[in-house]
Formats: sequence, C-alpha cells, structure tokens
Amino acid sequence: MIAEKWNAGEMGCGELLMELAPRMRALAPGQVFELTALDPGAVEDIPAWCGLTGHSLVSAQHPVYRIRRREN
Amino acid sequence: MPGSFCVSITHSKDNTDKATVGFVVANAAVASDKDTMVFLSIEGVRLSQKGFADDIHEQGFAPLKELMDNFAKAGGKIYVCSPCFKKRGLAEDKLVAGATIVGGAKLVEFLSGGAPSVSY
Repeated sequence: MIAEKWNAGEMGCGELLMELAPRMRALAPGQVFELTALDPGAVEDIPAWCGLTGHSLVSAQHPVYRIRRREN
Repeated sequence: MPGSFCVSITHSKDNTDKATVGFVVANAAVASDKDTMVFLSIEGVRLSQKGFADDIHEQGFAPLKELMDNFAKAGGKIYVCSPCFKKRGLAEDKLVAGATIVGGAKLVEFLSGGAPSVSY
C-alpha cells in the first residue's frame, strides 16, 4: 500500500533531499512513500539517504523508489 | 591498517596540476589498503568523461589517464557530483572506469564513516 507519491522529475542531490525529507516526516510510521526521481545520482543517493536517516528502502527500480517511514 | 580516505578534486583542465596531484594522492591511499574514493565536483567532473584526461600530462608526474586507470584497477571509487555533471551537459555513457554519478547523500554517507578528506 502506497501512502503518498511524489514525482521529483530531474531534481537531484541536496535539492531533492530537502524536498523529500519533509514529505517522509509527514507520513505515519511504517507508511510507504513512492518517489520517482530521474536524476542519475538517485541510484546511489536514495539508498545512502535511507541509511543515514533510518528510513527503509523497500524497493529501488530506478527511477522509482519505495521508502518506508521510520518508526520515530 | 583498514580505513577509508576521500580525495576531493574540483579542477580538470583549468588546473591540471591540482587534478594530477589529487589522483597521485588517491593512488597513494588506495595503495595503502585504504577504501579510497575520489569525489569529482565543479570542473573536476569533466575528468569523468572517457578521453578528456588523455592529453593531461604534468611535468614530473605520470600522465593523468595512467593515474586514473591505475586507481580504478586498484579498486578505487570515483564519485561524480550529479548536479555539476548535469550543469555541464556531460554524458552518462562516457563515464571512465570506476566512476559513479552520485548526489550529496552518498558523499555524506562516505565521510560520516569517519573518512579523512583532502581537497584539490
């Protein structure tokens, strides 16, 4: 079940993360967010960002990433 | 002694001395068994393109292409700043060996592991 979706288009790097972070915080713990990010850096960046922030990467098939919100 | 090491390079043909010395130091790190990453940003991202470094040969140093090839063969990683890459209209299908386009989170992840970093 996807709680929210967002298409970031060509946005990448810090700009993308600054938009993504509040969208993830707005979810309830455990909910899944679907991100579409065309930026080629997203392939490496989104898994790294999940590791840094504690959110769980459910699936990654560039350009679509499903991320489960952390518990706290 | 395990550990990681980052070399940040922000120049290419605008300062071939810095670009070359950056890879010399990166080779020293990878040859010292460090998990070594070269971060290319600003003008440095041009080095990620096959052929671009072929004519860079600083006096007193090995040709830059040779330094880069040796770095990749030794297992060194090259991270290429995504927005810098896109700004310059570079080509994803022309990346040199060992190069990966990344955003800021990948750099933060690497450095957050405690990697020392030197910039050129």
